[in-house]
Amino acid sequence: MQLISLSFVILWAIAFSLYYLVTGKAQRYVLLAVSLLFYVTGLRAFPLSLLLAAFTAYGCGLYLKRLLAQERTALGACQDRESKKAVRDAFQRRRKRIQVLSFLLLLGMLVFYKYAAIALPYAERLAGSHAAFLERVVMPLGISFYTLTAMGYIIDVGRENCEAETNPLCFLLFLAYFPSITQGPFNRYAPMKEQFCSAHIFDYDRMLRGIQRFVWGAFKKLVIADRLGIFVDRVYSAESSTVPGSIFVCATVLYMLQLYADFSGYIDMAMGVSESFGIMLPENFKRPYFAKSVAEFWRRWHITLGTWFKDYVMFSFVMSGPGRRLGKACKKRWSSFGKHVVPILGTLAVWFFTGIWHGRTAAYMLWGIYYGAVMSVSLVLEPRYAVWKEKLHIREGRLWSLVGMARTWLIVFAADVLIRSESLRQAGEIYLSFVTRLHPLRLLTSEITAYGLSRYDFILLAAVLLVWLAVSVLEERGEDVRTYLAAKPALLRWVCYYGVVLTLLITGIYGGGYDTAVFMYQSF
Amino acid sequence: MEEKVLAILKEHCEEALTYDGDSMMEDGVIDSFTVINVVGDLEDEFDIEIDAKYVVAENFKNKEAIIALVKRLLEE
Repeated sequence: MQLISLSFVILWAIAFSLYYLVTGKAQRYVLLAVSLLFYVTGLRAFPLSLLLAAFTAYGCGLYLKRLLAQERTALGACQDRESKKAVRDAFQRRRKRIQVLSFLLLLGMLVFYKYAAIALPYAERLAGSHAAFLERVVMPLGISFYTLTAMGYIIDVGRENCEAETNPLCFLLFLAYFPSITQGPFNRYAPMKEQFCSAHIFDYDRMLRGIQRFVWGAFKKLVIADRLGIFVDRVYSAESSTVPGSIFVCATVLYMLQLYADFSGYIDMAMGVSESFGIMLPENFKRPYFAKSVAEFWRRWHITLGTWFKDYVMFSFVMSGPGRRLGKACKKRWSSFGKHVVPILGTLAVWFFTGIWHGRTAAYMLWGIYYGAVMSVSLVLEPRYAVWKEKLHIREGRLWSLVGMARTWLIVFAADVLIRSESLRQAGEIYLSFVTRLHPLRLLTSEITAYGLSRYDFILLAAVLLVWLAVSVLEERGEDVRTYLAAKPALLRWVCYYGVVLTLLITGIYGGGYDTAVFMYQSF
Repeated sequence: MEEKVLAILKEHCEEALTYDGDSMMEDGVIDSFTVINVVGDLEDEFDIEIDAKYVVAENFKNKEAIIALVKRLLEE
């Protein structure tokens, strides 16, 4: 079941009615029942991996809770700092053992489902017909999201950043919550539990705000992303040697916007649905293309994934025993550069894992290494930039911000060629075309309309992209667009509402039965 | 103790000294690399161990929160 489908809207309406008909604790069970229904109809199979992930994390959480209680009792009996440290170290080792075991189970499941198709030919060579079962393995919907969410919960319980859940159904709701199960955002347990456990009464304004955000997300997906996708798909599936570099430049820039519109559109819809139930999900995007550096870009793009890797991988590695020892040794050996070594290793590891989390191909691995390298180089060179800026008398004004934005676009552009290309060979040919046969003037000819989009489509796209830009500028200035519009005169307000809805209905790219193309991040 | 913490912050992120909000990490005032370096220097200076569980936005929301964290760890 897609979020933009008639069946989903019906499910949402039924869930919404039931949710506000019942009160108190029963509300969370309505959400759980709807979440499981949504997931099972999407999966069309028994949700074994979801239940396994939930069982593993729930059980591990309870065990950690017991260990933490024992540790507190043991610490209470300690008299001096040394004995306290010894108790802490002993319990930390016990916690780590159970955490590592749970991670192996969760990651093993993720790797099995994600890489079964790739491993099939090798497995057949090794095990012959015994490996044939791998053919039937299908990656379960949302597995990349709920396994990481479950791991985050285990770490948070171990760090005492949240209390372990004792109610298994409540925990299952946390993992299976239907607006965020397929594509995120990555939720943290503490804020979600608080919201799931509160009673929510019907609020007309909140419902309206939820619907508005859902429609805006659908607008971004159907009017912008899916229209851009037609052009991008045609260009990238054409014989590379016949397409001039300028068309590839255009297609890649449009791909950058397509990916953003598609993913942030989904997030808007998920957040809108959730808001209608009184449950606020964490923001996942903050206008990333306004970023003035790549580091800032990744603080604004897929925020919850970035903070997941930062909190649970980067900090865990840097502040682990071996990480600390290595850091101290490097500082001693190389002085000022030495302090960068461990953060650089952490960054490279984070980006390598981010790459393989996103995709199963070598292109995604290279994409991760590329960003890791860019981040590491900028970390080392940052102090030098400050010196050069001082020497060249560069002031941080509007022009400097534009230069920073352009540089960020360029770096992201280069990476996106890699992941959008059908193969590494094609990516190489495309990079080469930027240098050897750019032919920029051919963009002004009718050739541009030979890739699935008419002149009318380009005009429409220019108009809707301008609307999107205007909304983004308002948000960047700290305005909440829905509140901003609500304060405007009724005529202007309704022109905007009807404008968005009618454009969505008339110009959206629909399939049969008003269904839509799948979301791009769903396959990650 | 406070002066020493402020001196470490000044060395790595002068902006943190004048920041008067309560979400320094989310606002991009202090990035993860700076946090790592600040943590390293605080550990060396005060002979404490700042575990990853303390490196959360709440404990790094502003300079006062960082001082409070160091105080708490010194008392433990």
